[in-house]
Amino acid sequence: MKFKTFAAFVAPSVLMMLIFIAVPLLLVFGESFYRTSPVMEVVEFESCTPGFGTQTCKTDTKISPALDAAGKVVWQTDFVGIENYADVVEPQKFWTDLKALDWAQLMDIDFWRALRFTLTFTFITLPLVLGLGLALALAVNNLTRSLRGPVIFVTLLPFIITPVIGALSIRWLFVGEGILTRALEALSGTDIAMFAQSWTIELLMMFYRVWSSAPFAFVIFYAGLQGVNQDAVEAAMIDGASRWQRLRFVVIPYLMPLIVFVALIHLMDAYRVFDEVVGLRTQGHVISLQYLTYDFLMPDDAGNRSVSRAAASSMLTMIGIVILLIPMLRRTWADQKGRA
Amino acid sequence: MAVSRALRQPLSLRVTSAAFLTLWCLIAAFPIFWITVMSVKLPLDAFASSPWEVLFGPATLAAGKGLTLLDIAASLGLLWATAWVAMRRVPGWVARFTPPNVIALGWLVAAAVLGLGFVLMGFVILPPILTWINSALGLPAVLGLTTQHYRAVWVENAFWHNFLNSMKVTLGVTAISLTVGTLAGYALARSGSKLAFWILIIALVFRALPHSVLVTGYLPLFINSAALLRPILGDAAPTLYGQPLAVIAVLVAINQPFTIWMLRSFFHNIPADLDEAARVDGCTHFQAFRWVIMPVMWPGVITTGLFSFLLGYNDYLVTSLLLDASNQTMVPAIAGFFNRETTMTDQVEAIAAAVSITAPLFLLVMVFQRQIVSGLTAGAVKG
Amino acid sequence: MYLRKLALAGVFALMGSTAMAACAFQNTVPLKSLSAGFEAWKSATTAMAECGNFTAELDQDFEKKQPEAFAANPSLYQIGGVSNGSITPLMNAGTIRALDDLVAKYGAGLAPNQLIKVDGHIMAIAMMVNTQHWMYRKDIFDKLGLTAPTTYDEVLADAEKIKAAGVVDYPLGATMGVGWNLGEEVNNMFMGFGGQSVNADGTPNVNNETGLKTLNMLKSLTAYMDPEYLTADSTYVQQQFQQGKIAMANLWASRAGAMDDAAESKVVGMVEGAAAPAAMAGGAPATTLWWDGFVIAKNISDEEADAAFRVALEGIDTEMVTAHNEDAVWLISGYTPGRLAAGAFATAALNPPPYPSTAAMGVMHMAMDGEVAAFLKGERSAEDTLVAIEAAYTKGAKDAGILK
Repeated sequence: MKFKTFAAFVAPSVLMMLIFIAVPLLLVFGESFYRTSPVMEVVEFESCTPGFGTQTCKTDTKISPALDAAGKVVWQTDFVGIENYADVVEPQKFWTDLKALDWAQLMDIDFWRALRFTLTFTFITLPLVLGLGLALALAVNNLTRSLRGPVIFVTLLPFIITPVIGALSIRWLFVGEGILTRALEALSGTDIAMFAQSWTIELLMMFYRVWSSAPFAFVIFYAGLQGVNQDAVEAAMIDGASRWQRLRFVVIPYLMPLIVFVALIHLMDAYRVFDEVVGLRTQGHVISLQYLTYDFLMPDDAGNRSVSRAAASSMLTMIGIVILLIPMLRRTWADQKGRA
Repeated sequence: MAVSRALRQPLSLRVTSAAFLTLWCLIAAFPIFWITVMSVKLPLDAFASSPWEVLFGPATLAAGKGLTLLDIAASLGLLWATAWVAMRRVPGWVARFTPPNVIALGWLVAAAVLGLGFVLMGFVILPPILTWINSALGLPAVLGLTTQHYRAVWVENAFWHNFLNSMKVTLGVTAISLTVGTLAGYALARSGSKLAFWILIIALVFRALPHSVLVTGYLPLFINSAALLRPILGDAAPTLYGQPLAVIAVLVAINQPFTIWMLRSFFHNIPADLDEAARVDGCTHFQAFRWVIMPVMWPGVITTGLFSFLLGYNDYLVTSLLLDASNQTMVPAIAGFFNRETTMTDQVEAIAAAVSITAPLFLLVMVFQRQIVSGLTAGAVKG
Repeated sequence: MYLRKLALAGVFALMGSTAMAACAFQNTVPLKSLSAGFEAWKSATTAMAECGNFTAELDQDFEKKQPEAFAANPSLYQIGGVSNGSITPLMNAGTIRALDDLVAKYGAGLAPNQLIKVDGHIMAIAMMVNTQHWMYRKDIFDKLGLTAPTTYDEVLADAEKIKAAGVVDYPLGATMGVGWNLGEEVNNMFMGFGGQSVNADGTPNVNNETGLKTLNMLKSLTAYMDPEYLTADSTYVQQQFQQGKIAMANLWASRAGAMDDAAESKVVGMVEGAAAPAAMAGGAPATTLWWDGFVIAKNISDEEADAAFRVALEGIDTEMVTAHNEDAVWLISGYTPGRLAAGAFATAALNPPPYPSTAAMGVMHMAMDGEVAAFLKGERSAEDTLVAIEAAYTKGAKDAGILK
C-alpha cells in the first residue's frame, strides 16, 4: 500500500486521537512541572448573613484572588521542577517509613495507599476473571444447544449493565441492612457491616469487578472454543490423554492468544479502577490511583483545585501502566515483527 | 452437529457443570432482578428490612396497588413472547427484508420496533383490558406492585428527553467510530509498514490511559471554546460545552484504540487476495475497500459496533462533565437523581430510571447475541 | 364517561389559568440556571419555569461546573443557585454582578435579611437558611426520661442510656461520609470548641489543644454509631431516622420535613428538633449557619440580567412558599415555621457562627475531610492526624496561592 493511500485511510482516526488524547496528554505532562495559582491578596471586607429574622454583618480580613483592571483573576505560573511529584510521592517520608518497616505510616501517604490498592485489585481480579471466564466458556460449551442462548444472555447481563448503575445496585444490596448483608448475617450468625472496614469493602469491589468483567472474558473464550480443532482433540483422545490433559495441552494452548488479549484488556481496565470508588463511596476506606487524580482535580467549596499535583499524579499513574504493560507490549511487538 | 464421541462426558462432570452454571446465572441476574422488584414498590416496601416484604409489597398492596393472578400470568406471558420473538423470529425477518448492505440498519429498526411493541402491549393495550376482566371476574390483588415511579420518571421528569439525547450520542458515537475505525483498521491490516506498527502500539498505550486525566482537561477548554476559537472562526465560534457533537467526538477518540485494534484483526482474516484481485480489475484502494471488502466485513462491523454502542450508552465521566441539562443523557441524569439530596421516593424513582435504562440493553443483547458470538468467532479472536 | 371527560377538561383549564397566574409576566428571554438539587431548589426552579423560556439544571455536583461556566463569556448560565460556601469562587473570580439596581427596581417584596451584602453591594438574594441541628426521637427520650442534650457530653451520656435500653439499632446517626460531610463535622466541632482553623496570614492552626479535643470527642461519638458511618451522607441518616434505626442526630434543617412524610417514614410525629448541642458548656452550638440563594452572572447582557432577576424572584415568591412550606426554613414572607422547624430556630437563637466563606476554609475543609478518617478508624494517633491535616492544608494552600 502506498504511503499516500495509507495516510488517507488512517488520517481521520489518527487525527482524532491526536487532538483528544495526545495533545491533552502533552499539556498535562508540561503542567506537571509548573505550579499555576491565582495571585492572592489580603482584603478587608464586610459580609452579612441572613440570620433568622435579623441580619448580622461583620468586618473581617480574608485572603482572596487579586483581580486585574478587566476584572479577571490574575494567574501566575512558576516552574517548580519535580516539586509536584515530590508532593505526591513524599519520598522522604517514604524512605524513613520503609527503613523503619513501618507499614501503617507508609500507608498514610495517599499515593502509596492508592498504589497498594490499585495493584492488589488488579492482580487479584486478573486470575479470577480469566478463570471464571474460561470455566463459564467450557461449561456453556458443554450445554445442549437449546439452552445455550438463554444462558449466554443471562451471562452477558453483568457486562452490559451501565457500570455506575451496577455499582450502585451492589451498594444497595449490601449497605446498612441491605438484603445480601442480612443473608450473610443469617448464614454466618454474626453481625456484619460490609462498609465498616477496609478489607470487606475491598472484597466487595473485587467481587463487583469480577462479576462485571468475567462475561467479557467468557464471550471471547466461548467464541474461541468454537474454533478448536476437533481432530486434534480426538487425536489426543486416541493417545490416551485424560480430559484434564486435553484441556491443558490442546484447548488452552489454542486459546492462548485470546487469554493474553483478555488479560491485556483487563489489566488496563482494572488498573484505572474508578467507578467502584465513586459508586460504592469507598473514599473513607479505599482509594485508587485514578481516584487520587480525580480528587486533586475536583474543586473544593471555594473553587480551589490542585491542577499541578493532579498532573503529576496522572503522569505517575501512566508510568505505572506502561511498566505493567511492558511484557505484553513486547509480546505484541514480537508478534507484529513476525507478521510484518 | 452430533457431539463427537471424544467429547461425550461422564454424568458427574455434566452435573457439576450444570450446577456451576445455575449458580452463576443466579449471581449474574440477581442484582438486576432485585432492583426491578424494588422499582415497582412504594418506598416503605422497597427499603423494608424483610426481603419478603420487598417481594410481596404489603404497603403497596394496602395502598390499593396490586396485581391479580391474571395480571401476573399476562405479564409473564408478554415477557416470554418478547424474548421468543427476539431470539427466534427477528433474525429471520431481518435477513429476509433488508438488503445485505444495510443489514445493520435492519437490525436497528427491528430492535426499535420490538421495544416499541413491548411498551405498547405492556403499558397501553394490556392494562385496560386486564383491569376490565379483573373487575368483571372480581379477582383480588395478591402482589403489591405499582408503575407510578415509571410514570413519574418518564412523564413528569421528562426522561424521554434524556432517552433521545442518549440515542443521539450513542448512535453518533457508533456510526462515526465505525466509519473512522474501519478505514484505519483496513489500512493498518493491509500495511506492513513501521508507521502502521507504531500507530498500533501507541494506540494500545492510549487505550490504557485513565480517562479522568483527559476529561477534566477538556472542561475549561470546552467552556471557553467560543472565546478561544473567535480569532480563527470569528463570530461563528461555538461553545463546545453542552454540545452533543463535541461529546461524540471525545467518546469516538477515546474509543478509537479499541476499535481499530478490533477491526484490524477482522480485516486480517479477510484474504488480501480479494482486494488485490479487485485492484487488478482497475479499482482504486478505496473502491476495493468499499465494494469488495465491506460486504464481507459485516459480522466484524456489527460486533465492534456493539462495543462502541455500549461505551457510548454507558459512559458517565465524559457525559456528566461536558453536557448541560438541555442535552443531558440518561446515565448522568440518573446519577443526578441518586446524588441529589434526595427523599426515599426520589431514590425509588431513580431505581425505576435505572431499570428503564437497562431495558434497551436487554433488547440489544437479545437481538444481537448470535452476532456477537459468531462475529467474534469469525474474526477478532483469531487475530 | 363523557361527563367525566368534561369535568377533567375543566380542571385542566383551571390549572392552566392558575399556572399562568403563578408568574406575573411572560418571559421571552431564554434563561438557564445551575443549582444544587435538593427539595427547596426543585420547588423554586419549578416555580421559575412557570414564567416560560427557562431551563433549570439541578445538579448535586454543580460546584464542579459553576465557577468555569460563569467565567465564560458569555456566561453559560444566567442564574446560579449558591450557598454561602459555593458563592466564594464566584465572588473571588468576580463573575457575578452586584444586584443593587435590580433590587431597587424589582425587589420591593424582599426582606432586608434576604439581601446578601458584601462590601456594601448586594451580591446574592437568599431564599432560605439551613443549619445542622439536633433531631431526636421524642417517644424514646420520654420513655427513658431524657431531655434534649445541650452539650456533647450530655449527648454521650444519653447515647449510653439509649444503647443500654436497646430500643434502636444505633443511638446516634451522623453525616460523617468522607467526601465533604466529614470535613463539615470536624469543622463544626472545632469551631464549637472555640477554635479558628486558619490564621489571618493563611497558616493552619489546628495542631493544638482544641484540635485534640475535637478529634477525641468525634471518636467518642462514633462508638454509638452505625459502623458504616464513614460512608453516611445526609440522605442515609435521614433514611435511618425514617426507618426507626437511630434515636438522634445532628442533621440539616432542610431534612426535617421528611420525618413526617407518611409515604416514607415509620416515625411520623415522633421526631422533634432542638438546638444543636454545644461542644463545651456555655459555648455556642457546635454548628454553622448557612444560607442558600441565587446570584446573577456578570458576563451577560443587561436585558438578560433583568429578565433573569425577575424570573428568579418569581421562583421564590410567597405563592411558592405556601405550596412548599415544609421544604426548608424559608426567609420569604408567607412562611409559617412548622413543628419541625423549631430546632433550627432554637439553634439560631444561640448565635452559632456563619460558615466562613474563604478560599482558605475551602482548603482546610477538604484537608480535615481527607485526614480524619484514618484517626477514626484507629490507624493513626490524634497527634499524627493533626500534623497530617496541617501538612495536607499547606500543600493545598500552596496550589491555591494562599501560601508561598
